[in-house]
Amino acid sequence: MDNYSPFEMILAIALIVVSTFVTRSALLVIGERVKFAPRVEAALRYAPVCALAALVAPEILLDAAGLAVSLDNPRLPAALAASLFLLWKRSIVGCIAVGMTVFALWRVFVTGS
Amino acid sequence: MPISKDDPLRRREFARGVTDILPAMPGAVAWGVVTGVAMVKSGLALSWALAMSITAYAGSAQLAVLPLLKDASPLWLIGVTALITNLRFVIYSAAIRGWFTDYTRLRRVWLGYLSGDFVIVTFLNRVACEGTFVHRDAYFFGMCITNWVLWNVASIVGIVGAAYIPTQWGLEFAGVLALLALVVPLCRERPALAGETSAAVVAVLGHAWPLRLGMIAAIMIGITVAMLVDARQRAARASPQARS
Repeated sequence: MDNYSPFEMILAIALIVVSTFVTRSALLVIGERVKFAPRVEAALRYAPVCALAALVAPEILLDAAGLAVSLDNPRLPAALAASLFLLWKRSIVGCIAVGMTVFALWRVFVTGS
Repeated sequence: MPISKDDPLRRREFARGVTDILPAMPGAVAWGVVTGVAMVKSGLALSWALAMSITAYAGSAQLAVLPLLKDASPLWLIGVTALITNLRFVIYSAAIRGWFTDYTRLRRVWLGYLSGDFVIVTFLNRVACEGTFVHRDAYFFGMCITNWVLWNVASIVGIVGAAYIPTQWGLEFAGVLALLALVVPLCRERPALAGETSAAVVAVLGHAWPLRLGMIAAIMIGITVAMLVDARQRAARASPQARS
């Protein structure tokens, strides 16, 4: 990328590395000194679920044009099939395999993309 | 993090970490490849892509800054975007910090750096089921290092093979499915399901907000809703007659 000098590129990458360290390690390092209210501590139990849902939902429900809730979106039937398989068999690998298979077949036979 | 050979229990925890994280790894590998390809396709030189991939170790932040690099955005904006994309890890590390206070600061720094979505959720699932156990650091490190190695190998494959890997296959969807596989089992309790649903709705509505703030709003609102449903459920259990 010619937009930046090598020095600026190193700085840009360093900023990303710093953000990785600060967000992931800072609270672990000062862990015993940070005391949250019991309510907040209890709320943290639900943090991973909510973060994952917030990460996954846009990937499944949106496309370049915006909300894509229709049979033209192969990720919907694929995610549905993968979730049902997971509730039945509890296998992550199986969930990925079922989801990717439905995803691929749907694109070949239904949306034709 | 030396794994001392004279402590079989420690080695066993490390090995269990490796095996516990493996099922989610097809997702991490697919995601790594796609991130690698995306970095090169956006115009990043091979050497910069490799350097960023190996040191930054933050797939979603790397993808978020790519369009900014392409537009020659100021460096502060790149830093702020990376920070906000990574903010969910502040909440994650707040949730796990109590399990790591026994270990040295330096060890905590590295365990934090090497952690990821898959690692944190798998760890929290285990302590939720089994409670505390010895050599949590070895278990955590086993998961982390597996994730780190596979993610980096996959990214390098993506970067080097970008010209040969078709982007229209939708390989990244495997990563989405792996995360989905972590979410679905967690939603059998009603508060978690309510939190998850509201987080999903807010994330979809706020996807176009600047600096990925929609994601942060989604997590905050999701947690709040989960807490409210939890409190109501407790109140209802405490006094079955007084249900509203």
